[in-house]
Amino acid sequence: MKTAFIIGIGNRHRGDDAAGLRVMDLLKADFATLEHDGEPASLIDAMQGHDRVILVDAVSSGAAAGEIFRLDLQKEGLPGAFTQTSTHSFGIVEAVELARALGKLPPALVFYGIEGKNLAVGDGISPEVQNATETVAASIRAETQEKKHA
Amino acid sequence: MSEKTRTIKVDYLARVEGEGAMHLKIDNGKLTDVKLKIFEPPRFFEGLLRDRAYTEAPDITARICGICPVAYQMSAVHAMENALGLKVEGQLRALRRLLYCGEWISSHTLHIYMLHAPDFLGYPSAVHMAKDHGAAVERGLQLKKVGGEIMTLLGGREIHPINVRVGGFYRVPTKKELQTLVSPLKKARDAAMETVRWVSGFDFPDFTQDYIFVALQHPQEYPFNEGRLVSSHGLDIAAAQYEDYFEEQHVEHSTALHCVLKDGKKAYHVGPMARYALNFDRLPQHIQDTAKGVGLGKVCRNPFKSIAVRSIEVLYACEEALRIIEDYEVPEAPFVEAAVKAGTGYAATEAPRGLLYHRYKISDKGEIEDANIVPPTSQNQKMIEDDLWQFVPQYIDLPDDKLQWHAEQAIRNYDPCISCSAHFLKLTVDRT
Repeated sequence: MKTAFIIGIGNRHRGDDAAGLRVMDLLKADFATLEHDGEPASLIDAMQGHDRVILVDAVSSGAAAGEIFRLDLQKEGLPGAFTQTSTHSFGIVEAVELARALGKLPPALVFYGIEGKNLAVGDGISPEVQNATETVAASIRAETQEKKHA
Repeated sequence: MSEKTRTIKVDYLARVEGEGAMHLKIDNGKLTDVKLKIFEPPRFFEGLLRDRAYTEAPDITARICGICPVAYQMSAVHAMENALGLKVEGQLRALRRLLYCGEWISSHTLHIYMLHAPDFLGYPSAVHMAKDHGAAVERGLQLKKVGGEIMTLLGGREIHPINVRVGGFYRVPTKKELQTLVSPLKKARDAAMETVRWVSGFDFPDFTQDYIFVALQHPQEYPFNEGRLVSSHGLDIAAAQYEDYFEEQHVEHSTALHCVLKDGKKAYHVGPMARYALNFDRLPQHIQDTAKGVGLGKVCRNPFKSIAVRSIEVLYACEEALRIIEDYEVPEAPFVEAAVKAGTGYAATEAPRGLLYHRYKISDKGEIEDANIVPPTSQNQKMIEDDLWQFVPQYIDLPDDKLQWHAEQAIRNYDPCISCSAHFLKLTVDRT
């Protein structure tokens, strides 16, 4: 059941920054998905016309690697802490807040963040982050499933 | 306050394009130090390119920048074609211009609306501005989107187009496909015209510099891909001579290099204001009239007005895109085939933020033996510092927060390719 539009954000060539895209890969078979680099204007555009959007991205807030954050962006903004060190979270924060200011947020918008450890240039993802991507994918399946029966 | 040392330091992180910081030092009311530091990823790419096939350069270098990948692809393919003695003409050449139009529309609009306009209207960010200027921000988003649509249609996707190759394209669009862009582009043209009027009404700090402008110049066209490399001070050379006339200097405070003219070691200015000054008469008459109508002369030397010049270029790009689509006929082949041979190729094209120079040496097997890439932001870096040296003393009595505001605005005049970082600033002020 394609109950939600999953947007994975990140850069596959910057270590753990690929976390959001790995989650998206795991859900590709069952959901409408989009790989995105976080650029605000096109991200706002990509979210339009979808009732339920789930954004997944790597974050860098100082928490332990692999820690998972889930935020209901209809109710709250993305914390500033996420924006300070991620290579592109600035784009998402800007996109979400711009969409909010313009009244263009999708009716349901959830953000999943996975704390990254290594955001240096290069391929490869930390084991803690790899585990977290599987957990997040399972959580997304579970929460969209719940909604379906609700 | 005047007997104190004031240090204004701005450290900022960027998205993948890089990172930069600004540092101003004021002793006894006198500006004593200006440092702009930009981390410059292309250096890394030059090493990465070695031993790769010449055909890979457009796709590898497109990764240098998420905002202007087309510029990197265009400079790469033109340099390779220069090495191979290949000439790409007719509709394939026109399609390359069309692709560049898409990037200019997208990149310029992002800068005008999301990054620079908030400076003029007194908002810390586009998000804050959107609450009061929702219609303008929506217009910017729509305009930018059309640029992205051109890039997606021609490039295969918006962010890192994959359809560009040495000799042309992997696949060319049908007439019908290009026609789908006409209606959005007509709306974009109207939005671009409104943008020109909107930004021309901003208050601009009174500041001019006697710049040495450097840009491409083509006999007939406003330049994207081709032309002589000319300056406002009489330079007129081929791209192949770039390294004879320009040099990159190491500076202690930065890992990035500063570009200067070899003659006199002077800073120079690349980007919209340089292109405009050196190619004004290549703009269609009615766009020249529009520019004059909003108070822009044939040459603009106030860097804060670069936002208006940029908006004129967006208008031009919309019109040029419509013209190319109107005249389009599907070419016989999507690319021109070339025999591989050893050689060195040079090219400069006009990235949204200025001249982008590439040089490649390839072996008889087509392997890249050496590469040199000089991005526009590296060329403007010393110019930006020079602007701050001139500009800050005029505003030296302002409190730190106001001074920082103007100084950042002055940096953003150049749309440095750390643009995403522009509102991502940490400030520390030390007073001793």
